[in-house]
Amino acid sequence: MLRLENVSVFYGAFQVLWDVSLDVPEGTTACVLGPNGAGKSTVLKAMAGLVPVRGRVLYRGQDISRLPAARRVGLGMSLILERRRLFTGMTARENLLLGGYLLPRVRRDERLREVVSLVPGVDALLGKRAGDLSGGQQQLIAIARGLMAEPSLLLLDEPFLGLSPKAVNEVEAIIMSLGRAGMTIVFNEQNVRKSLAMSDRAVLLEGGRLIAAGPSAEIGAGDIVQRVYFGTHVAQGGAA
Amino acid sequence: MMTPMFLWEQVLNGLIAGSMYALMATGLSLIWGTMRVLNFAHGEFFMLGAFFALTAFELLELPLAPAIAVALLGVFLAAVLVHRVTVAPLMRQRGWDFSTIAATLGVSIVLQDIALMTWGERFQSLPYFVEGIVHVAGVRLPAQRVLILLAVIIVVAGLVTLLRFTRFGMAIRAVASDPEAASACGINTPAIHAATFGIAAMLAALAGIILAPIIAINPWMGVPPILKAFVVVVLGGLGSLPGAVIGGYLLGIIEALGVAAFSSEWREAVALTVLIIVIWLRPQGLFGQRIREA
Amino acid sequence: MRLLPAWLRASPRLWSGVALLGLVPLITRDAYVLQVLSLAMIWAIFASSWNLAVGYAGLKTFGHQAFFGIGAYVSALSAMHGGLSPWVTMWFGAVAAAVVGALVCLPLLRIRSLPHLAIVTLAFAEIVRILCSNLVDLTRGELGLAGIPPFTPLSVPGLGLVSFGPADRASTFVLIWSCLAASLAFLGWLVRSRTGLIIQAIRDSQVAAESLGVSLTRYKLFTLTISAFLAGAVGAVYAHFVLVLTPTSALGIALMVQMTAITLVGGIGTLQGPLIGSLVLTVSAEGLRMAGDHRMLAFGVLIVLVVLFAPRGLARLDLLFGRPSQAAGAAR
Repeated sequence: MLRLENVSVFYGAFQVLWDVSLDVPEGTTACVLGPNGAGKSTVLKAMAGLVPVRGRVLYRGQDISRLPAARRVGLGMSLILERRRLFTGMTARENLLLGGYLLPRVRRDERLREVVSLVPGVDALLGKRAGDLSGGQQQLIAIARGLMAEPSLLLLDEPFLGLSPKAVNEVEAIIMSLGRAGMTIVFNEQNVRKSLAMSDRAVLLEGGRLIAAGPSAEIGAGDIVQRVYFGTHVAQGGAA
Repeated sequence: MMTPMFLWEQVLNGLIAGSMYALMATGLSLIWGTMRVLNFAHGEFFMLGAFFALTAFELLELPLAPAIAVALLGVFLAAVLVHRVTVAPLMRQRGWDFSTIAATLGVSIVLQDIALMTWGERFQSLPYFVEGIVHVAGVRLPAQRVLILLAVIIVVAGLVTLLRFTRFGMAIRAVASDPEAASACGINTPAIHAATFGIAAMLAALAGIILAPIIAINPWMGVPPILKAFVVVVLGGLGSLPGAVIGGYLLGIIEALGVAAFSSEWREAVALTVLIIVIWLRPQGLFGQRIREA
Repeated sequence: MRLLPAWLRASPRLWSGVALLGLVPLITRDAYVLQVLSLAMIWAIFASSWNLAVGYAGLKTFGHQAFFGIGAYVSALSAMHGGLSPWVTMWFGAVAAAVVGALVCLPLLRIRSLPHLAIVTLAFAEIVRILCSNLVDLTRGELGLAGIPPFTPLSVPGLGLVSFGPADRASTFVLIWSCLAASLAFLGWLVRSRTGLIIQAIRDSQVAAESLGVSLTRYKLFTLTISAFLAGAVGAVYAHFVLVLTPTSALGIALMVQMTAITLVGGIGTLQGPLIGSLVLTVSAEGLRMAGDHRMLAFGVLIVLVVLFAPRGLARLDLLFGRPSQAAGAAR
C-alpha cells in the first residue's frame, strides 16, 4: 500500500534520514521503533509529505514523492500530528469539520456522525473549545479529525505522548479497533513492548538508518531491539 | 470653541477617518494573523486601488460601479503576484520574519515608482460617488462621507461572516492557527496564504477607492494610511480583528479631537504619539492576549 | 603581526580595502569623485550603525534615520546659534541621538515581538520628522536649514592650517575617511569583545542567553545607545559636509530604504558589508546616472532581489572577497 524507496531527508544541511526503504502492506498495522532521534517522526512526516524527500514515496503504486501534504489527504492518507495540534481556538466540532475539508458538504456532515460512532467519547466534546480539553480528550479529537478525511491509511505520530495511563488505554483501544476494521495504520511510540504488541509489522531505525524490518513477532523475538536500545549495536556505515 | 456640538462633529469626522483606518488595519492584521508577515507594502495597495479605479473610470470609461469592481480585482491579482514572487518563497527560507519585512518594504518602493512612471506625479481625483448633504444627528455631512462609514461597516460585517461561517473562512482560520495541521487536513496552505494576502489587499484598495474623491490620488498616498494602520494594529493588538476595527475608530476619534485641540499639521504626530503611549502602558494592545516571541 | 590588535588581524581584507580607499586623494583630486566617495563613506558609517543593531544584536529597527537626523540637526543648530565649532557640536548631536534612542527604546526592549519593534521605531522616526518639519521657527521646516558652517580649519603639523570648506574636497575626504576608519575599528573591536559576543549570543537565542543569566535589557539598551550615538555622530558629519538639511533628506523614510539596501546588499551582520554595499550602490548609481529619478526604484528592487537570492549579501560571496571573516551562522 505504501512504499518508501531509498528515502533521505535533510533539515537544512543536516541529514536526518539515510536511504530508508520499507513497505507497509494493505490492512496491516505497522510500528516505527527506535531510540530518541532515530528519525521515527521524520519517517511519518516523509510519508505524509510534510518534509521534502530525496528518493521515492509510493502510495498504491503511484509516485507521490513530490505531492504536497494536502494532496495526499485527498488520496486517502491522513496524518495525526505529534502533540495533537488541534486548532485550539475553535470548537471540537469545527476541528472535525476541518478534518473533512476535502469532502462535499453533505458527505462531511454524514461523515461527522460516522466518526462520532467510531471514536467513543467524542460526542460529548463536540461543543467544547479544543484548547480547553485535556490531553487525552484532545488526542481523541485529533484521531477523529484524522478519520474525517475517510483515510485508507492512517499515520499516527507519537499518539500516546504526554497522555495519562487511562487515556493511553483508550487511545490504544481505538487504534486496535480501527486496525481490526481493516484500516492500514502506521504509528510510532517510545514503548517497544506496547508497540510490538499492537502491530503486525515493525520497522527499527537507528541514527536515521533502517536497521531491521519485518513481522513484529520476529523483531520482538530477536535481540536486535535490545542491542539498538541499549547501545551495543553499531549501525552499518557508522551512524552518529 | 469646544462646544458640545463642535465636539460631536469632530467625533463624527473621526469615525469616518477611523473607518478607513479600520479597513487598512483589518487587512494588515489578517495577513499577520494568517502568515505572521508584516506587510510594509500594504499602503501601496491602497494607492493602487485608487489609481486602478481612476484608470478604469476615466480611460476605459466604465461606469463607477464596474470601475470599482475592476480595480478591486486588479489589486487582488497584483497582491497575489506580490505574494507569489516575494512572500511565499521567503517563507520557505530561514529568517523570514525579517526578510519578509525587508522585501515588502522594497516592494512598496517599487510600486510607488511604477505608479509614478505610469500615472505621473500630478495629483488627481475621482468624482463623488454620491452627491448631496445628509443630516446625521444634527450635523450636516456630505453624503460621500456617510457612504464611507456605511461601506466599511458592511464590508467588515461581510468579512466576519466569511471567516466565521464559510468553508473558505474556516480554512483561513485553520491556517492561521496551525499551518502544518491545516495541511494535514487537506487544506492547500500556500493557496490560502495567497488568497488571504489578496483579500487583505482588496480591503486596502477599497479604502483607497472610497477615499479617492476626497483626497488627492498620487503615488505616495499610501504612506500615511499604512503608518496609521500600524498604529491601529498595535493599539488593537496585532492579529486581532475586533482590535483592528475598534482600534481604527478609536484612533480616528482621538486624532480628530487632537486636531481640534492643536492644528491639522499635527494630525500624524497625534496618531504616532498614541502609539508610543500604548507601547509604554499596554504593549500587547487593547485586545491582544500576549506578545509573541520573535 | 602579533603587534597588531586582534580586530585588525581578524579582517585583513577589510582593512586593506579601507587603507586603499584612503589613498584615493593621492590618485585623483577630481572634486566629483571625491564628493561621491565621501558621501558613500558617510552612508557606510550610517549603515554600519544600523548593522550593529540589526545584524549583530538582532534588534530589527526601522527608525535609525531619526538618530541620523537628530545628530545632524542638533549639531547644525548648535553650531549656527551657539557659535560653537562643529568639532564640538557634532558630539552634542551624537549624545542627543543616543539619549533619545535610549529613551524611546526602553519600553521596546521588554517586548520581543519583531513587528512591534519595527512599527514603533518607524513611527518614532516619523514623529521626529514631523516635529522637524512643523517647528518652522527653529528648523525652517521643508524650506531647509541653510548656512550650516563646515568643520573649522585645523592646524596640522607639517601641513599648516587645513580647512574643510566646500572647496576643500580632498581634506574633507580624509576627514570622513578617518571617521570611517575609526568607526569600523571601534565596531570591529566591539563585536569581538566580551560584550559583543554576548550581544551576538542574544541575537542567536534570547532564551539561551537569558538562561545563562545575561541581562537582555541591559545589553540591548547598550547596543541601541551605541548604535544611535554612531548614527547621530555621522549625521552631524553629514550636516557639516552638505551644509543644507531638510526633514526629508535627513529624516525621511527614503534614508531608511537606502540604508537597508546598502546593508543587505553588502551583507548584514558583517563588518565589511555596509562599506561594500555603500560603495557598490553609490558608485553604480552614479555610474548609471540614476542619481535622480529612479534611484529609489533601484534600491527597492535590490532589497527584494537580495533577500530572495543572496540573503548573505556580497560580503559573503567567497569568490569576490575571500573567506568571510564572520561565522556563517551570523546570516541573520
